Amino acid sequence: MCQWCFKHGAGQKWYLNAKNYSDDLAKELDLEDYLTEQWTTMEQIFIRRIKGFSSIGLGYKLKMPLIGKFIRRGAESMIHSEKKNRKAFRADGHFGQVIPLEDGKIILSELAAEPLIENYCLCRWMQRGVKDACCINFGYNATAIEKFPRFIPKERTLRIDREQAIERLEEHNKKGYVATVWFQPVPYVCAICSCESPECGGLRLTNDFGLHEVYKAEYIIQLNIDNCQGCGTCVKMCQFNAIRLIPSIDRVIIDYNKCMGCGVCRHACKYDALSLIPREEFPGFDGKYW
Amino acid sequence: MENIGDHMGKRKKKTRIVIDYSKCGEKGKIDPRDCGKCLQVCDPCVFLRHMTLGVKPKDPYDPQDWRITAVWPSVCTRCLKCVEICPEKAISVSW
Repeated sequence: MCQWCFKHGAGQKWYLNAKNYSDDLAKELDLEDYLTEQWTTMEQIFIRRIKGFSSIGLGYKLKMPLIGKFIRRGAESMIHSEKKNRKAFRADGHFGQVIPLEDGKIILSELAAEPLIENYCLCRWMQRGVKDACCINFGYNATAIEKFPRFIPKERTLRIDREQAIERLEEHNKKGYVATVWFQPVPYVCAICSCESPECGGLRLTNDFGLHEVYKAEYIIQLNIDNCQGCGTCVKMCQFNAIRLIPSIDRVIIDYNKCMGCGVCRHACKYDALSLIPREEFPGFDGKYW
Repeated sequence: MENIGDHMGKRKKKTRIVIDYSKCGEKGKIDPRDCGKCLQVCDPCVFLRHMTLGVKPKDPYDPQDWRITAVWPSVCTRCLKCVEICPEKAISVSW
């Protein structure tokens, strides 16, 4: 469990605490206008100057001596901000965690606040230029996004129910998209995305620049060596280059440092060789979320 | 294999990607929302399509004005596919 579980999890994982999904919490944080403003200006987030720095060329900026450290600290405090004067246009307090399909199903079936919608992925539209309806938003976030026609899929203009949402999440997961759950802003949970790397803005910041934007899952993959036949179908499912096929031993090897614990590779395995275990049970990886 | 970003950071010279906005964007013939060929051809996703900040600092939201910016040049692999594919030849890459 991470620090956010201790802070907002009430004894369990933060995304399994029903309080974080409640409308009361959203009203208390006054999120109706906040989220509307955030979605109005979401496309500009990487080009906007924040405290004198924009994200253009962030990789180079973070490598600069001294100034790089200053920018990194500023960015981290912004990402994890719980202050009262949060600004919607710079997406303060917006970060998430990778979840396996099972946890996603629990969230969508029991915890998510009404209404649920499925909208076009903003990251993919910004960075890859495709419209892919794969983000499931709920609660106040859904009512905010509904105001913007550019996010609403043409073939699915209505709100979706819980069964449909679970069905869609499963479909995306089996396609190879990584399910992630998001604080927006902390501690209100209102989105399950199906991300892919490198299009996803969050995974870009995490994997390429080392900012703590997307936490690794509470689980990690475990390979049953006896069952692995070396077919290599799981390799193409992994978004993070964590699996490699080694022909000489006729099985795959896993880079546990890169494994985010999304469990997407399990869908490809025909021989039941891959399974998820809790991160704390795997020696050396307890509490390693990046 | 290292992350693309890690590897590129060790290079001594920075990649500079310049987009000529007189050919692409608000003044050019092509609307970035219809074209977006550079976005699709770029493997490490260097480009970002966004609405412009506009001239009014307090209300910068202008849904009609869109632009493409090379926002992550540090992950660029210098394959120059974007230069080739741009129909207006608006992109130039140098290092």
